[in-house]
Amino acid sequence: MATFPEQIREMGVKQAVIAKADEVVERVTAGMNISDIRAALRGDEPRRPNPRLRPHADSFWLHIRPSFYHTEVTHIYPTFRMGWLSTFMFVWETITGIILMIFYTPSPLVAYSNMWNILSNVPLGQLIRNMHRLGAEVMVIVVAMHMLRTFITGSYKKPRQFTWATGIILLVLTLMLSFSGYLLPWDQLAYWALTVFISGAEAAPAPAIINQNVLLILQGAPSLGAGGLLRWYLLHVLLMPLMLGILFFVHYYKVVLHGMSLPPGREEIGEDTAKRVPKNERTYFIPDLLTSELMWSALMTLFLVAGALWLWDAPLETHANPVVTPLHVVAPWYLSWSQGWLKLADKTLVVGFIPALLVAFIVMPYFEVGKSRRYADRRVGLSVAFLFMAFMLVSNWMGTPEYRVASSPDREVSIEILPQEGASTLLAVPYDEMLEGSFLPGQDLGENYPHLNEALADLAHAVLANSCTVGAPKITTIEASEWKECDVVTLENGDKQYNTTFGNDLMPDPYVLLEIEEVQPKLLRLTLVYDVPEPDNPNEFRIQTSWTAYRHADSNYEEECRYANKNC
Amino acid sequence: MQVKIVIGTISLMLTMIILGFAALREPSRLEDFTLARQGRQIENGAELFQSQCMTCHGVNGKAEECYDAATGEQIGCAGLPLNYGPLLCEDTSQRMINMNWEGSKPAFIQATISSGRYGTAMPTWAADFGGPLRPDEIEDLVQFVLNWETEELCSAPAFQYEWPATIEELLAEFPEGDAARGKELYVTYGCSGCHGDPEGDSAWAGTGPWQGHLAEEAGTRIEGMSGQQYVYESVLYPNNYIVEQCPTGPCNTPSAMASNNFYARMGDTAEKPQDLVDIMTYLGILP
Repeated sequence: MATFPEQIREMGVKQAVIAKADEVVERVTAGMNISDIRAALRGDEPRRPNPRLRPHADSFWLHIRPSFYHTEVTHIYPTFRMGWLSTFMFVWETITGIILMIFYTPSPLVAYSNMWNILSNVPLGQLIRNMHRLGAEVMVIVVAMHMLRTFITGSYKKPRQFTWATGIILLVLTLMLSFSGYLLPWDQLAYWALTVFISGAEAAPAPAIINQNVLLILQGAPSLGAGGLLRWYLLHVLLMPLMLGILFFVHYYKVVLHGMSLPPGREEIGEDTAKRVPKNERTYFIPDLLTSELMWSALMTLFLVAGALWLWDAPLETHANPVVTPLHVVAPWYLSWSQGWLKLADKTLVVGFIPALLVAFIVMPYFEVGKSRRYADRRVGLSVAFLFMAFMLVSNWMGTPEYRVASSPDREVSIEILPQEGASTLLAVPYDEMLEGSFLPGQDLGENYPHLNEALADLAHAVLANSCTVGAPKITTIEASEWKECDVVTLENGDKQYNTTFGNDLMPDPYVLLEIEEVQPKLLRLTLVYDVPEPDNPNEFRIQTSWTAYRHADSNYEEECRYANKNC
Repeated sequence: MQVKIVIGTISLMLTMIILGFAALREPSRLEDFTLARQGRQIENGAELFQSQCMTCHGVNGKAEECYDAATGEQIGCAGLPLNYGPLLCEDTSQRMINMNWEGSKPAFIQATISSGRYGTAMPTWAADFGGPLRPDEIEDLVQFVLNWETEELCSAPAFQYEWPATIEELLAEFPEGDAARGKELYVTYGCSGCHGDPEGDSAWAGTGPWQGHLAEEAGTRIEGMSGQQYVYESVLYPNNYIVEQCPTGPCNTPSAMASNNFYARMGDTAEKPQDLVDIMTYLGILP
């Protein structure tokens, strides 16, 4: 072969450079030169021998991908691209996660201030963090949908049982990856969600000595601290991604080996024709599938970037505090069902049931051996699946604070109006509009104070939801007709409870006041004062408490309230 | 396929535009978050101050109005004022000079909270030194204390009364003492925080000696010195004379009271020396 100088002498500079470029492109793509790529993009027929097959044989990245698919599985149905999107999300999380790792040290001394540093000192730091956190939530959804569609189209059946089994483990790993990242900001949300979760280990149906040691390993110490944070960090950035990566290749190898199952109606019952693709039903990876995958990647990127910027904001609560438990600790939404179960049944039963359920999922295809994948032949299986999903949805709801063990009614009002964590309508009132003084729930301060009025209206709603009347409402700014009548119940010990259809042990005719005072330049103290006299003996108080929160002019709770995932 | 290429290309371009938009607003966003971080530290510091510091340093940090956390009764403030010009004003405040502190002001406050002040009622607060607070909580408290520094607080011209050498000269200027007012001041200056109630139980076990019998004893301390002059000097220059036995053991040398700096606090306006006369009247040292 001629050297480059020889080529220049032979063809002139221009032609030689073109020829050289062509050669380089062909080497990089492992088989396609410039005109092959242009032809593929134009949608032309390939030349013979087909250069679009060579990358599958010669290149590292494409040798794992099939060179063609059955046209039937390349449409949106039956795959909905969920498997591809799961892989995309894993790569997305890896990239954004590595960027975040640069700015993070897994130590309780600095982890939380690292978070604020990412938000306040790293250009685009908040965006990257939001993208990582949003990506984690989306990945859980995508992986779960992938499993759901695999079940519905019967693709777990022979010969793909093992693929299904690895898929279940991948689902668990995805949940664990997402959850292990939960602890890293070292804020109250993280600390208590994880504390509650791993305390489950203590209740496992095993000898106490095993449970205690498992808990010790998970916490790194008798309580969650520096050791625990470091090992959850290592789980999150090392062990789990590694295991997920390895299992992904096992999973995908099986997918390629067996081929993707056709839509159930497209083949005879009991047949598996995925690997026997007639010439006229082939869709080639290059260019069709590759284009499609690139398009989905671009669309997904657009969605995640725009979502992280405008729709959704990763939460950051106050510093983890082992001695203060927030009132309603919640699991992340994708584990909410387990919290729901804990309200239904004994802890040991629940903790034992979850692994049993997993094993049942994994072995299910080996026992459910009905030959047909068609929907009409699987009425029982599909019905059970939908019942299970309904059960999970209800369990999820039961895990949320909507369905909770209520604390005292004044406390319920307080944490709604002045929450320990995050923003509320009152905290998000613009600082200029905050007025020093004492205010009644539902008070109208005129048109100059629209946000404060709204917050006071919210306070009125919260008070109404947690109280009732025995005929003498004390808050004059709430319409008398809005109070619900108390059902007075006398308990066995002679005490009285004041209930309504919506709650028990409420405040009978409370007097509630919001006090706002400046304690420092640009710092307000907001105090909710509750006086609830005993209806039978007005000189005694059933409840006489107050609840304090502070609001600094620069705290910027207004910003937090702009996002779809914030409740104010 | 062409449609997919178009959709993909447009998506990619939109993503780039959005990222460009995000990059443009970054400087102001970073600034907002820097302020928000500080604001929330101050909020948390305020909560900690309320729960941990208020009993000794007073409701507004002026060490004038202190309440017992359990009973709600007003008590003497055992702590020093924090909402206080000589502590907060100037990069190197008067207090830092008095305490020979050569570092920064936030570090001074942080160090004082963390390790406490030995021999006084101020305990160690940092978990590192056996206290209850985490490092981040100490930082929040520092931010809260520094937030008291305002132009209003620091614009008042610094005034220091030139204390005369003898009590007689002071009395020439402030002849009348008010025992009732002195009783109040004995609490608000925090005297009772360490020395107890002079009208109460003599078996006081605080940081400093009980002063109920000061009127009889003061004159016997130093040969040739009147009781009035002895107390006068002891308040202004605590290290001049130190008694040997305090209720909880040998008294500290140098005196723990030195950090109270009554020389400055009772002399930062032209009228304030009256406070000392009132207190001495209350204790029965002056008629």
